[in-house]
Amino acid sequence: MVYCIGHSIISPLGEGSHANLEAVQAGRSGLKLYTHRFADVEPFCASLFDTPQDFVPLCIKSVEGAMSSQPSVVSLQSSETIFIVSTTKGDDLDLLTPAKTIAQHFGNPNAPIVVSNACTSGVCAQITAMRLLEAGLYRHAIVVGCDIQSRFIVSGFQSFKALSPEPCKPFSPDRQGLNLGEAAATIVYSQQPIANSQQPLWTLEAGSIHNDANHLSAPSRTGEGAYQCLMDVMGGITADQIALVGVHGTATMYNDAMETIALERAGLQDVPKSVLKPFFGHTMGAAGVVETILCAMQATNRQSSIVQSSIIKMLSGFGGVNAAIRLRV
Amino acid sequence: MEQLIEQLKAQIIEALNFEDMTPADIDTDAPLFGEGLGLDSIDALELIMLMDREYGIKLADPKAGKAIFQSVRTMAEYIQANRTK
Amino acid sequence: MVHNGQPIAVEATGEKMLVELYRRFAGDYPKFFKMDTLSRLGFIAAEILLKEPIPSDRASRQRIANSQKPTAIILANRSASIKNDTDYMATISDGKYYPSPALFVYTLPNIVTGEIAIRHQMQGETSFYILDKPEDLEPILLSTFHTASADRKNIQPSTSALAGWCECSDANTFYAKIQIIWNN
Repeated sequence: MVYCIGHSIISPLGEGSHANLEAVQAGRSGLKLYTHRFADVEPFCASLFDTPQDFVPLCIKSVEGAMSSQPSVVSLQSSETIFIVSTTKGDDLDLLTPAKTIAQHFGNPNAPIVVSNACTSGVCAQITAMRLLEAGLYRHAIVVGCDIQSRFIVSGFQSFKALSPEPCKPFSPDRQGLNLGEAAATIVYSQQPIANSQQPLWTLEAGSIHNDANHLSAPSRTGEGAYQCLMDVMGGITADQIALVGVHGTATMYNDAMETIALERAGLQDVPKSVLKPFFGHTMGAAGVVETILCAMQATNRQSSIVQSSIIKMLSGFGGVNAAIRLRV
Repeated sequence: MEQLIEQLKAQIIEALNFEDMTPADIDTDAPLFGEGLGLDSIDALELIMLMDREYGIKLADPKAGKAIFQSVRTMAEYIQANRTK
Repeated sequence: MVHNGQPIAVEATGEKMLVELYRRFAGDYPKFFKMDTLSRLGFIAAEILLKEPIPSDRASRQRIANSQKPTAIILANRSASIKNDTDYMATISDGKYYPSPALFVYTLPNIVTGEIAIRHQMQGETSFYILDKPEDLEPILLSTFHTASADRKNIQPSTSALAGWCECSDANTFYAKIQIIWNN
Protein backbone atom coordinates (compact mmCIF):
# COMPACT_ATOMS: atom_id res chain seq x y z
CA MET A 1 0.00 0.00 0.00
CA VAL A 2 1.00 3.62 -0.46
CA TYR A 3 0.10 6.78 1.39
CA CYS A 4 -1.55 9.93 0.11
CA ILE A 5 0.14 12.88 1.77
CA GLY A 6 -1.18 15.73 -0.33
CA HIS A 7 -3.74 16.54 -2.99
CA SER A 8 -5.39 19.37 -4.88
CA ILE A 9 -8.12 20.00 -7.44
CA ILE A 10 -8.52 22.95 -9.79
CA SER A 11 -11.81 23.01 -11.65
CA PRO A 12 -14.46 25.46 -12.86
CA LEU A 13 -15.95 24.99 -9.37
CA GLY A 14 -12.89 26.41 -7.66
CA GLU A 15 -9.29 26.11 -6.66
CA GLY A 16 -8.32 23.65 -3.97
CA SER A 17 -9.78 20.33 -2.90
CA HIS A 18 -11.81 21.90 -0.09
CA ALA A 19 -13.33 24.53 -2.35
CA ASN A 20 -14.42 21.79 -4.73
CA LEU A 21 -15.83 19.63 -1.94
CA GLU A 22 -17.81 22.59 -0.59
CA ALA A 23 -19.22 23.29 -4.04
CA VAL A 24 -20.37 19.70 -4.40
CA GLN A 25 -21.88 19.71 -0.92
CA ALA A 26 -23.68 22.96 -1.72
CA GLY A 27 -25.07 21.41 -4.90
CA ARG A 28 -23.24 23.79 -7.22
CA SER A 29 -22.50 22.44 -10.68
CA GLY A 30 -20.02 23.68 -13.26
CA LEU A 31 -22.26 22.57 -16.15
CA LYS A 32 -23.45 25.24 -18.58
CA LEU A 33 -24.66 25.40 -22.15
CA TYR A 34 -22.02 26.58 -24.66
CA THR A 35 -23.03 27.78 -28.09
CA HIS A 36 -19.98 29.61 -29.40
CA ARG A 37 -17.00 28.19 -27.59
CA PHE A 38 -15.76 26.16 -30.58
CA ALA A 39 -16.40 26.74 -34.28
CA ASP A 40 -18.88 24.46 -36.12
CA VAL A 41 -19.65 22.45 -33.03
CA GLU A 42 -23.33 22.15 -32.08
CA PRO A 43 -24.38 23.66 -28.75
CA PHE A 44 -23.20 21.46 -25.89
CA CYS A 45 -23.50 21.34 -22.11
CA ALA A 46 -20.17 21.12 -20.28
CA SER A 47 -18.17 22.28 -17.27
CA LEU A 48 -15.43 24.56 -18.59
CA PHE A 49 -13.16 27.21 -17.10
CA ASP A 50 -14.47 30.73 -17.70
CA THR A 51 -11.08 31.69 -19.05
CA PRO A 52 -9.65 28.99 -21.33
CA GLN A 53 -6.66 27.41 -19.60
CA ASP A 54 -3.38 26.10 -20.93
CA PHE A 55 -2.44 22.55 -20.06
CA VAL A 56 1.08 23.00 -18.64
CA PRO A 57 0.48 26.06 -16.39
CA LEU A 58 -2.71 24.46 -15.08
CA CYS A 59 -0.88 21.25 -14.16
CA ILE A 60 1.96 23.19 -12.55
CA LYS A 61 -0.53 25.13 -10.43
CA SER A 62 -2.18 21.86 -9.47
CA VAL A 63 1.10 20.30 -8.37
CA GLU A 64 1.97 23.41 -6.37
CA GLY A 65 -1.39 23.19 -4.63
CA ALA A 66 -0.87 19.56 -3.67
CA MET A 67 2.70 20.21 -2.52
CA SER A 68 1.64 23.12 -0.31
CA SER A 69 -0.64 20.79 1.60
CA GLN A 70 1.93 18.08 2.30
CA PRO A 71 4.43 18.05 5.18
CA SER A 72 7.52 19.08 3.19
CA VAL A 73 9.12 15.67 3.03
CA VAL A 74 8.91 15.30 -0.69
CA SER A 75 11.68 16.70 -2.82
CA LEU A 76 10.50 17.19 -6.36
CA GLN A 77 14.12 17.47 -7.49
CA SER A 78 15.00 14.06 -6.14
CA SER A 79 15.56 11.15 -8.50
CA GLU A 80 13.47 9.16 -6.06
CA THR A 81 10.41 11.17 -7.06
CA ILE A 82 8.53 10.30 -10.25
CA PHE A 83 5.95 12.38 -12.10
CA ILE A 84 3.03 10.41 -13.52
CA VAL A 85 0.69 12.38 -15.78
CA SER A 86 -2.78 11.11 -16.62
CA THR A 87 -4.28 12.61 -19.77
CA THR A 88 -6.12 11.57 -22.93
CA LYS A 89 -5.32 14.43 -25.31
CA GLY A 90 -2.53 16.30 -23.50
CA ASP A 91 -1.62 19.72 -24.83
CA ASP A 92 -2.91 19.97 -28.38
CA LEU A 93 -2.59 16.20 -28.99
CA ASP A 94 0.98 16.05 -27.64
CA LEU A 95 1.12 14.09 -24.41
CA LEU A 96 4.84 13.63 -23.79
CA THR A 97 6.21 17.15 -24.24
CA PRO A 98 3.89 18.81 -21.70
CA ALA A 99 4.62 16.05 -19.17
CA LYS A 100 8.35 16.64 -19.60
CA THR A 101 7.88 20.40 -19.30
CA ILE A 102 6.00 19.94 -16.04
CA ALA A 103 8.62 17.61 -14.55
CA GLN A 104 11.46 19.86 -15.69
CA HIS A 105 9.75 22.94 -14.27
CA PHE A 106 10.06 21.37 -10.85
CA GLY A 107 13.64 20.27 -11.48
CA ASN A 108 12.83 16.58 -11.52
CA PRO A 109 15.58 14.55 -13.24
CA ASN A 110 13.43 11.59 -14.29
CA ALA A 111 11.60 11.18 -17.57
CA PRO A 112 7.94 11.39 -16.59
CA ILE A 113 5.46 8.60 -17.22
CA VAL A 114 2.26 9.45 -19.04
CA VAL A 115 -0.67 7.11 -18.59
CA SER A 116 -3.02 7.19 -21.55
CA ASN A 117 -5.61 4.53 -20.95
CA ALA A 118 -8.70 6.45 -22.08
CA CYS A 119 -11.08 7.55 -19.34
CA THR A 120 -9.58 5.14 -16.80
CA SER A 121 -6.23 6.96 -16.93
CA GLY A 122 -6.60 8.73 -13.58
CA VAL A 123 -7.15 5.47 -11.72
CA CYS A 124 -4.53 3.63 -13.77
CA ALA A 125 -1.99 6.35 -12.99
CA GLN A 126 -2.58 5.78 -9.28
CA ILE A 127 -2.17 2.02 -9.74
CA THR A 128 1.08 2.67 -11.61
CA ALA A 129 2.26 4.88 -8.73
CA MET A 130 1.38 2.21 -6.19
CA ARG A 131 3.28 -0.47 -8.08
CA LEU A 132 6.40 1.64 -8.62
CA LEU A 133 6.53 2.69 -4.97
CA GLU A 134 5.82 -0.80 -3.62
CA ALA A 135 8.55 -2.23 -5.83
CA GLY A 136 10.94 0.24 -4.23
CA LEU A 137 11.75 1.94 -7.53
CA TYR A 138 10.76 5.38 -6.23
CA ARG A 139 9.86 6.88 -2.87
CA HIS A 140 7.32 9.42 -4.00
CA ALA A 141 4.97 9.73 -6.95
CA ILE A 142 3.29 12.93 -8.10
CA VAL A 143 0.16 11.86 -9.96
CA VAL A 144 -1.25 14.70 -12.06
CA GLY A 145 -4.46 14.28 -14.03
CA CYS A 146 -5.54 16.88 -16.55
CA ASP A 147 -7.51 17.33 -19.74
CA ILE A 148 -8.65 20.51 -21.45
CA GLN A 149 -11.70 20.41 -23.71
CA SER A 150 -11.31 21.31 -27.34
CA ARG A 151 -13.06 21.33 -30.67
CA PHE A 152 -11.33 18.04 -31.38
CA ILE A 153 -12.82 16.27 -28.37
CA VAL A 154 -16.29 17.83 -28.42
CA SER A 155 -16.78 17.20 -32.14
CA GLY A 156 -15.82 13.56 -31.67
CA PHE A 157 -18.26 12.96 -28.85
CA GLN A 158 -20.94 14.70 -30.85
CA SER A 159 -20.27 12.38 -33.79
CA PHE A 160 -20.93 9.58 -31.31
CA LYS A 161 -24.19 11.26 -30.31
CA ALA A 162 -23.04 10.59 -26.75
CA LEU A 163 -23.59 14.08 -25.36
CA SER A 164 -26.61 15.19 -23.39
CA PRO A 165 -27.96 18.64 -24.31
CA GLU A 166 -28.75 19.16 -20.62
CA PRO A 167 -26.93 18.47 -17.35
CA CYS A 168 -26.41 14.72 -17.19
CA LYS A 169 -28.54 12.43 -15.07
CA PRO A 170 -26.51 9.33 -14.22
CA PHE A 171 -28.54 6.17 -13.58
CA SER A 172 -31.81 7.96 -14.34
CA PRO A 173 -34.22 6.18 -16.71
CA ASP A 174 -34.37 9.35 -18.81
CA ARG A 175 -30.64 9.96 -19.00
CA GLN A 176 -29.53 11.30 -22.36
CA GLY A 177 -25.78 11.00 -22.31
CA LEU A 178 -22.72 12.62 -20.87
CA ASN A 179 -21.37 16.12 -20.41
CA LEU A 180 -17.72 16.93 -20.96
CA GLY A 181 -15.59 18.79 -18.43
CA GLU A 182 -12.09 19.98 -17.71
CA ALA A 183 -9.99 20.05 -14.58
CA ALA A 184 -6.55 19.38 -13.15
CA ALA A 185 -5.90 17.40 -9.99
CA THR A 186 -2.81 16.09 -8.22
CA ILE A 187 -2.23 13.40 -5.61
CA VAL A 188 1.13 13.00 -3.85
CA TYR A 189 1.80 9.39 -2.93
CA SER A 190 4.52 8.28 -0.54
CA GLN A 191 6.05 4.85 -0.15
CA GLN A 192 6.13 5.25 3.63
CA PRO A 193 3.79 6.97 6.02
CA ILE A 194 5.23 10.19 7.32
CA ALA A 195 6.49 9.83 10.87
CA ASN A 196 5.39 12.36 13.48
CA SER A 197 2.76 13.95 11.34
CA GLN A 198 -0.97 13.75 10.97
CA GLN A 199 -2.52 10.58 9.61
CA PRO A 200 -2.06 10.07 5.91
CA LEU A 201 -5.07 11.42 4.08
CA TRP A 202 -5.72 7.92 2.84
CA THR A 203 -3.88 4.75 1.93
CA LEU A 204 -4.17 3.21 -1.51
CA GLU A 205 -4.41 -0.50 -0.90
CA ALA A 206 -5.37 -2.27 -4.09
CA GLY A 207 -5.92 -1.70 -7.76
CA SER A 208 -7.06 -3.72 -10.76
CA ILE A 209 -7.41 -3.22 -14.49
CA HIS A 210 -9.39 -5.54 -16.81
CA ASN A 211 -10.42 -5.40 -20.44
CA ASP A 212 -13.91 -6.55 -21.47
CA ALA A 213 -12.47 -7.93 -24.72
CA ASN A 214 -15.85 -7.15 -26.25
CA HIS A 215 -16.09 -3.84 -28.13
CA LEU A 216 -14.03 -0.70 -28.49
CA SER A 217 -16.64 1.86 -27.55
CA ALA A 218 -19.48 -0.02 -25.89
CA PRO A 219 -19.11 -1.73 -22.51
CA SER A 220 -19.71 -5.44 -21.99
CA ARG A 221 -23.42 -6.03 -21.39
CA THR A 222 -22.60 -8.14 -18.34
CA GLY A 223 -20.11 -5.61 -17.02
CA GLU A 224 -17.45 -8.29 -17.15
CA GLY A 225 -14.30 -6.20 -16.85
CA ALA A 226 -15.78 -3.84 -14.27
CA TYR A 227 -17.01 -6.79 -12.23
CA GLN A 228 -13.57 -8.45 -12.30
CA CYS A 229 -11.99 -5.21 -11.11
CA LEU A 230 -14.46 -4.89 -8.26
CA MET A 231 -13.94 -8.49 -7.16
CA ASP A 232 -10.18 -8.00 -7.25
CA VAL A 233 -10.13 -4.86 -5.11
CA MET A 234 -12.70 -6.24 -2.67
CA GLY A 235 -10.47 -9.16 -1.80
CA GLY A 236 -10.27 -9.46 1.98
CA ILE A 237 -13.15 -7.10 2.78
CA THR A 238 -16.94 -7.27 2.66
CA ALA A 239 -19.53 -4.84 1.31
CA ASP A 240 -20.46 -3.59 4.79
CA GLN A 241 -16.91 -2.34 5.29
CA ILE A 242 -17.22 -0.07 2.28
CA ALA A 243 -18.31 3.49 3.04
CA LEU A 244 -18.67 4.64 -0.53
CA VAL A 245 -18.29 3.58 -4.16
CA GLY A 246 -17.18 6.33 -6.50
CA VAL A 247 -18.90 5.27 -9.70
CA HIS A 248 -18.07 6.27 -13.28
CA GLY A 249 -21.69 7.30 -13.90
CA THR A 250 -21.35 9.01 -17.28
CA ALA A 251 -25.12 8.91 -17.86
CA THR A 252 -24.89 7.18 -21.23
CA MET A 253 -27.48 4.44 -21.68
CA TYR A 254 -24.93 1.66 -21.84
CA ASN A 255 -22.35 2.74 -19.28
CA ASP A 256 -24.81 3.19 -16.44
CA ALA A 257 -26.62 -0.06 -17.25
CA MET A 258 -23.32 -1.93 -17.32
CA GLU A 259 -22.09 -0.34 -14.12
CA THR A 260 -25.32 -1.20 -12.31
CA ILE A 261 -24.94 -4.83 -13.35
CA ALA A 262 -21.29 -4.97 -12.30
CA LEU A 263 -22.10 -3.46 -8.89
CA GLU A 264 -24.96 -5.91 -8.36
CA ARG A 265 -22.81 -8.87 -9.34
CA ALA A 266 -20.22 -7.73 -6.82
CA GLY A 267 -22.82 -7.29 -4.07
CA LEU A 268 -22.32 -3.52 -3.86
CA GLN A 269 -25.78 -2.38 -4.92
CA ASP A 270 -26.64 -1.06 -1.44
CA VAL A 271 -23.39 0.79 -0.79
CA PRO A 272 -23.75 4.59 -1.06
CA LYS A 273 -22.59 5.90 -4.46
CA SER A 274 -20.64 9.03 -5.11
CA VAL A 275 -21.83 10.38 -8.46
CA LEU A 276 -19.75 13.38 -9.44
CA LYS A 277 -20.21 13.93 -13.17
CA PRO A 278 -23.29 16.14 -12.69
CA PHE A 279 -20.91 18.57 -10.96
CA PHE A 280 -17.74 18.33 -13.04
CA GLY A 281 -18.79 16.71 -16.27
CA HIS A 282 -16.52 13.99 -17.58
CA THR A 283 -13.02 15.33 -17.09
CA MET A 284 -11.39 12.45 -19.03
CA GLY A 285 -7.75 12.09 -17.89
CA ALA A 286 -8.42 14.15 -14.78
CA ALA A 287 -11.54 12.21 -13.77
CA GLY A 288 -9.83 9.40 -11.89
CA VAL A 289 -7.78 11.85 -9.83
CA VAL A 290 -10.49 14.45 -9.16
CA GLU A 291 -13.09 11.87 -8.26
CA THR A 292 -10.78 9.82 -6.02
CA ILE A 293 -9.88 12.90 -3.97
CA LEU A 294 -13.52 13.90 -3.56
CA CYS A 295 -14.67 10.39 -2.69
CA ALA A 296 -11.99 10.14 -0.01
CA MET A 297 -13.08 13.49 1.43
CA GLN A 298 -16.75 12.57 1.25
CA ALA A 299 -16.14 9.24 2.97
CA THR A 300 -14.06 10.83 5.70
CA ASN A 301 -17.02 13.11 6.42
CA ARG A 302 -19.66 10.44 6.50
CA GLN A 303 -17.99 7.50 8.19
CA SER A 304 -20.66 6.17 10.47
CA SER A 305 -18.53 3.61 12.19
CA ILE A 306 -14.94 2.63 12.37
CA VAL A 307 -15.76 -0.50 10.37
CA GLN A 308 -16.61 1.48 7.26
CA SER A 309 -13.28 2.84 6.28
CA SER A 310 -12.84 1.56 2.77
CA ILE A 311 -13.87 3.20 -0.44
CA ILE A 312 -13.77 2.00 -4.01
CA LYS A 313 -13.30 4.18 -7.08
CA MET A 314 -14.16 2.66 -10.45
CA LEU A 315 -13.94 3.89 -14.05
CA SER A 316 -14.41 2.51 -17.56
CA GLY A 317 -13.13 3.78 -20.86
CA PHE A 318 -12.85 3.44 -24.62
CA GLY A 319 -10.92 0.39 -25.73
CA GLY A 320 -12.92 -1.81 -23.37
CA VAL A 321 -10.80 -0.96 -20.37
CA ASN A 322 -12.07 -0.93 -16.77
CA ALA A 323 -10.20 -0.05 -13.60
CA ALA A 324 -10.83 0.12 -9.87
CA ILE A 325 -8.91 1.02 -6.74
CA ARG A 326 -9.59 0.56 -3.06
CA LEU A 327 -8.59 3.17 -0.50
CA ARG A 328 -8.70 3.19 3.24
CA VAL A 329 -9.58 6.53 4.81
CA MET B 1 -32.85 5.16 -58.16
CA GLU B 2 -30.64 2.34 -59.48
CA GLN B 3 -27.82 4.79 -60.00
CA LEU B 4 -28.23 6.08 -56.45
CA ILE B 5 -28.19 2.52 -55.15
CA GLU B 6 -24.94 1.71 -56.95
CA GLN B 7 -23.36 4.95 -55.78
CA LEU B 8 -24.52 4.31 -52.24
CA LYS B 9 -23.03 0.82 -52.19
CA ALA B 10 -19.66 2.20 -53.24
CA GLN B 11 -19.87 4.92 -50.60
CA ILE B 12 -20.78 2.41 -47.89
CA ILE B 13 -17.84 0.22 -48.84
CA GLU B 14 -15.47 3.16 -48.61
CA ALA B 15 -16.92 4.70 -45.45
CA LEU B 16 -17.00 1.44 -43.54
CA ASN B 17 -13.66 0.13 -44.81
CA PHE B 18 -14.92 -3.04 -46.54
CA GLU B 19 -11.59 -3.55 -48.25
CA ASP B 20 -12.30 -6.78 -50.09
CA MET B 21 -15.78 -5.96 -51.26
CA THR B 22 -17.26 -4.52 -54.46
CA PRO B 23 -20.76 -3.08 -54.94
CA ALA B 24 -21.73 -6.33 -56.70
CA ASP B 25 -21.12 -8.17 -53.41
CA ILE B 26 -23.80 -6.19 -51.57
CA ASP B 27 -27.37 -7.44 -51.82
CA THR B 28 -29.62 -4.38 -52.15
CA ASP B 29 -32.34 -5.86 -49.95
CA ALA B 30 -30.28 -7.76 -47.41
CA PRO B 31 -30.25 -6.49 -43.80
CA LEU B 32 -27.36 -4.12 -43.13
CA PHE B 33 -27.31 -4.86 -39.41
CA GLY B 34 -27.54 -8.18 -37.65
CA GLU B 35 -26.88 -10.71 -40.42
CA GLY B 36 -26.16 -9.36 -43.88
CA LEU B 37 -23.21 -7.00 -43.57
CA GLY B 38 -23.21 -7.27 -39.76
CA LEU B 39 -22.72 -3.58 -39.07
CA ASP B 40 -22.33 -2.31 -35.52
CA SER B 41 -23.09 0.85 -33.58
CA ILE B 42 -20.07 2.79 -34.84
CA ASP B 43 -20.96 1.85 -38.43
CA ALA B 44 -24.47 3.20 -37.84
CA LEU B 45 -23.04 6.51 -36.68
CA GLU B 46 -20.72 6.58 -39.68
CA LEU B 47 -23.68 6.05 -42.02
CA ILE B 48 -25.46 8.96 -40.35
CA MET B 49 -22.37 11.09 -41.09
CA LEU B 50 -22.32 9.79 -44.67
CA MET B 51 -25.88 10.95 -45.25
CA ASP B 52 -24.98 14.40 -43.96
CA ARG B 53 -21.76 14.71 -45.90
CA GLU B 54 -22.90 13.32 -49.26
CA TYR B 55 -26.60 14.15 -49.30
CA GLY B 56 -27.06 16.98 -46.81
CA ILE B 57 -29.42 14.99 -44.55
CA LYS B 58 -29.10 15.58 -40.81
CA LEU B 59 -30.41 12.84 -38.58
CA ALA B 60 -30.63 14.03 -34.99
CA ASP B 61 -31.98 10.85 -33.44
CA PRO B 62 -29.83 7.74 -34.04
CA LYS B 63 -32.79 5.52 -33.17
CA ALA B 64 -34.61 6.74 -36.27
CA GLY B 65 -31.69 5.26 -38.19
CA LYS B 66 -32.90 1.73 -37.46
CA ALA B 67 -35.74 1.92 -39.96
CA ILE B 68 -33.75 3.91 -42.51
CA PHE B 69 -30.76 1.57 -42.44
CA GLN B 70 -32.65 -1.68 -42.77
CA SER B 71 -31.20 -2.28 -46.20
CA VAL B 72 -29.42 -0.41 -48.96
CA ARG B 73 -32.77 0.00 -50.67
CA THR B 74 -34.52 1.59 -47.65
CA MET B 75 -31.51 3.85 -47.18
CA ALA B 76 -31.60 4.89 -50.86
CA GLU B 77 -35.33 5.56 -50.71
CA TYR B 78 -34.88 7.75 -47.65
CA ILE B 79 -32.05 9.64 -49.31
CA GLN B 80 -34.08 10.11 -52.48
CA ALA B 81 -36.92 11.60 -50.47
CA ASN B 82 -34.84 13.84 -48.20
CA ARG B 83 -31.63 14.82 -49.94
CA THR B 84 -30.67 18.46 -50.04
CA LYS B 85 -27.51 17.90 -52.12
CA MET C 1 10.26 -6.93 -40.21
CA VAL C 2 12.11 -9.24 -37.88
CA HIS C 3 10.55 -12.10 -35.96
CA ASN C 4 12.63 -13.70 -33.23
CA GLY C 5 15.79 -12.48 -34.82
CA GLN C 6 14.82 -13.76 -38.26
CA PRO C 7 14.06 -11.22 -40.95
CA ILE C 8 10.80 -11.75 -42.79
CA ALA C 9 10.70 -10.67 -46.41
CA VAL C 10 7.96 -8.28 -47.35
CA GLU C 11 7.36 -6.73 -50.74
CA ALA C 12 5.29 -3.72 -49.86
CA THR C 13 6.34 -0.68 -47.90
CA GLY C 14 4.51 1.75 -45.68
CA GLU C 15 0.93 1.00 -44.77
CA LYS C 16 0.64 -1.53 -47.59
CA MET C 17 3.23 -3.63 -45.82
CA LEU C 18 0.84 -4.03 -42.92
CA VAL C 19 -1.89 -5.22 -45.28
CA GLU C 20 0.50 -7.73 -46.83
CA LEU C 21 1.45 -9.04 -43.40
CA TYR C 22 -2.20 -9.23 -42.42
CA ARG C 23 -3.03 -11.38 -45.41
CA ARG C 24 -0.07 -13.62 -44.69
CA PHE C 25 -0.44 -14.09 -40.96
CA ALA C 26 -4.16 -13.59 -40.36
CA GLY C 27 -6.51 -12.98 -43.28
CA ASP C 28 -9.65 -13.93 -41.39
CA TYR C 29 -10.51 -10.71 -39.60
CA PRO C 30 -12.20 -8.06 -41.81
CA LYS C 31 -12.27 -5.63 -38.85
CA PHE C 32 -8.57 -5.19 -39.53
CA PHE C 33 -9.51 -2.78 -42.29
CA LYS C 34 -11.38 -0.52 -39.89
CA MET C 35 -8.29 -0.10 -37.72
CA ASP C 36 -5.97 2.87 -37.84
CA THR C 37 -2.30 2.32 -38.67
CA LEU C 38 -1.18 2.11 -35.04
CA SER C 39 -3.78 -0.55 -34.27
CA ARG C 40 -2.92 -2.51 -37.41
CA LEU C 41 0.73 -2.44 -36.40
CA GLY C 42 0.06 -3.74 -32.90
CA PHE C 43 -2.53 -6.21 -34.14
CA ILE C 44 -0.11 -7.84 -36.59
CA ALA C 45 2.73 -7.99 -34.08
CA ALA C 46 0.45 -9.65 -31.55
CA GLU C 47 -0.94 -12.03 -34.17
CA ILE C 48 2.51 -13.25 -35.13
CA LEU C 49 3.74 -13.54 -31.55
CA LEU C 50 0.71 -15.43 -30.38
CA LYS C 51 0.74 -17.86 -33.26
CA GLU C 52 4.38 -18.40 -34.05
CA PRO C 53 6.66 -18.65 -31.05
CA ILE C 54 10.36 -19.04 -31.67
CA PRO C 55 11.17 -22.69 -32.39
CA SER C 56 13.90 -22.91 -29.74
CA ASP C 57 11.74 -21.37 -27.00
CA ARG C 58 10.17 -24.59 -25.82
CA ALA C 59 8.49 -22.98 -22.83
CA SER C 60 6.64 -20.48 -25.00
CA ARG C 61 5.81 -23.11 -27.58
CA GLN C 62 4.35 -25.32 -24.89
CA ARG C 63 2.27 -22.55 -23.38
CA ILE C 64 0.92 -21.34 -26.68
CA ALA C 65 0.20 -24.90 -27.77
CA ASN C 66 -1.85 -25.16 -24.57
CA SER C 67 -3.69 -21.99 -25.54
CA GLN C 68 -2.19 -20.19 -22.60
CA LYS C 69 -2.16 -16.52 -23.37
CA PRO C 70 -0.24 -13.78 -21.66
CA THR C 71 -2.30 -12.12 -18.96
CA ALA C 72 -1.69 -8.49 -19.74
CA ILE C 73 -1.16 -6.25 -22.75
CA ILE C 74 1.15 -3.34 -21.91
CA LEU C 75 2.30 -1.11 -24.73
CA ALA C 76 3.95 2.27 -25.00
CA ASN C 77 5.08 4.92 -27.46
CA ARG C 78 6.10 8.58 -27.68
CA SER C 79 3.54 10.03 -30.03
CA ALA C 80 0.27 8.59 -28.73
CA SER C 81 -2.24 8.42 -31.61
CA ILE C 82 -0.94 11.40 -33.58
CA LYS C 83 -1.26 9.82 -37.02
CA ASN C 84 -4.91 8.98 -36.59
CA ASP C 85 -5.54 12.25 -34.75
CA THR C 86 -4.36 14.02 -37.88
CA ASP C 87 -6.65 11.88 -40.04
CA TYR C 88 -9.57 12.69 -37.77
CA MET C 89 -8.78 16.41 -37.90
CA ALA C 90 -9.16 16.30 -41.67
CA THR C 91 -12.82 15.41 -41.12
CA ILE C 92 -13.39 18.56 -39.03
CA SER C 93 -11.56 21.02 -41.23
CA ASP C 94 -12.85 24.55 -41.81
CA GLY C 95 -15.72 24.51 -44.21
CA LYS C 96 -15.88 20.73 -44.28
CA TYR C 97 -17.07 19.73 -40.85
CA TYR C 98 -18.14 16.07 -40.88
CA PRO C 99 -16.58 14.46 -37.81
CA SER C 100 -16.05 10.75 -38.42
CA PRO C 101 -16.98 8.50 -35.50
CA ALA C 102 -15.04 5.60 -37.04
CA LEU C 103 -11.88 7.72 -36.93
CA PHE C 104 -12.60 9.31 -33.56
CA VAL C 105 -12.63 5.88 -31.92
CA TYR C 106 -8.94 5.53 -32.78
CA THR C 107 -7.86 8.90 -31.39
CA LEU C 108 -6.68 7.21 -28.22
CA PRO C 109 -3.46 5.17 -28.20
CA ASN C 110 -4.79 2.47 -25.89
CA ILE C 111 -7.28 1.35 -28.53
CA VAL C 112 -4.58 -0.89 -30.02
CA THR C 113 -4.53 -2.85 -26.76
CA GLY C 114 -8.32 -3.16 -26.98
CA GLU C 115 -8.11 -4.53 -30.52
CA ILE C 116 -5.59 -7.18 -29.43
CA ALA C 117 -7.70 -8.04 -26.38
CA ILE C 118 -10.84 -8.49 -28.49
CA ARG C 119 -9.09 -10.58 -31.13
CA HIS C 120 -7.51 -12.94 -28.61
CA GLN C 121 -10.18 -12.69 -25.89
CA MET C 122 -7.73 -11.47 -23.29
CA GLN C 123 -9.60 -10.13 -20.26
CA GLY C 124 -6.62 -9.22 -18.15
CA GLU C 125 -5.02 -5.83 -17.83
CA THR C 126 -4.58 -3.59 -20.85
CA SER C 127 -2.49 -0.48 -20.40
CA PHE C 128 -0.87 2.15 -22.56
CA TYR C 129 1.94 4.48 -21.57
CA ILE C 130 3.49 7.48 -23.30
CA LEU C 131 7.20 7.44 -22.58
CA ASP C 132 10.40 9.09 -23.70
CA LYS C 133 12.05 5.87 -24.88
CA PRO C 134 11.38 2.11 -24.91
CA GLU C 135 13.72 1.44 -21.97
CA ASP C 136 11.43 3.51 -19.75
CA LEU C 137 8.87 0.71 -19.94
CA GLU C 138 11.14 -1.67 -18.00
CA PRO C 139 10.55 -0.30 -14.48
CA ILE C 140 6.84 -0.22 -15.22
CA LEU C 141 6.83 -3.88 -16.28
CA LEU C 142 9.03 -4.84 -13.34
CA SER C 143 6.63 -3.22 -10.90
CA THR C 144 3.60 -4.72 -12.66
CA PHE C 145 4.93 -8.20 -11.99
CA HIS C 146 6.09 -7.35 -8.48
CA THR C 147 4.50 -9.52 -5.83
CA ALA C 148 1.42 -7.88 -4.45
CA SER C 149 1.61 -6.72 -0.88
CA ALA C 150 0.42 -9.10 1.80
CA ASP C 151 -2.79 -7.08 2.32
CA ARG C 152 -4.01 -7.90 -1.07
CA LYS C 153 -6.03 -11.07 -1.28
CA ASN C 154 -7.87 -12.19 -4.37
CA ILE C 155 -5.80 -10.25 -6.82
CA GLN C 156 -3.74 -12.32 -9.21
CA PRO C 157 -1.05 -9.94 -10.35
CA SER C 158 -0.23 -10.27 -14.01
CA THR C 159 2.38 -12.94 -14.45
CA SER C 160 2.89 -12.50 -18.14
CA ALA C 161 2.44 -9.77 -20.69
CA LEU C 162 2.46 -8.95 -24.34
CA ALA C 163 4.59 -5.88 -23.91
CA GLY C 164 6.64 -3.39 -25.80
CA TRP C 165 6.84 -0.34 -28.00
CA CYS C 166 4.29 0.43 -30.68
CA GLU C 167 4.87 3.70 -32.47
CA CYS C 168 3.28 5.29 -35.52
CA SER C 169 3.92 8.87 -36.47
CA ASP C 170 2.61 8.80 -40.05
CA ALA C 171 1.52 6.38 -42.77
CA ASN C 172 5.07 5.42 -43.64
CA THR C 173 6.79 5.80 -40.30
CA PHE C 174 6.02 3.17 -37.72
CA TYR C 175 7.96 0.85 -35.49
CA ALA C 176 6.97 -1.89 -33.10
CA LYS C 177 9.10 -4.06 -30.87
CA ILE C 178 6.93 -6.35 -28.84
CA GLN C 179 7.66 -9.43 -26.79
CA ILE C 180 5.81 -11.92 -24.68
CA ILE C 181 7.23 -11.90 -21.18
CA TRP C 182 6.43 -14.87 -18.97
CA ASN C 183 7.11 -14.18 -15.33
CA ASN C 184 6.48 -17.67 -14.03
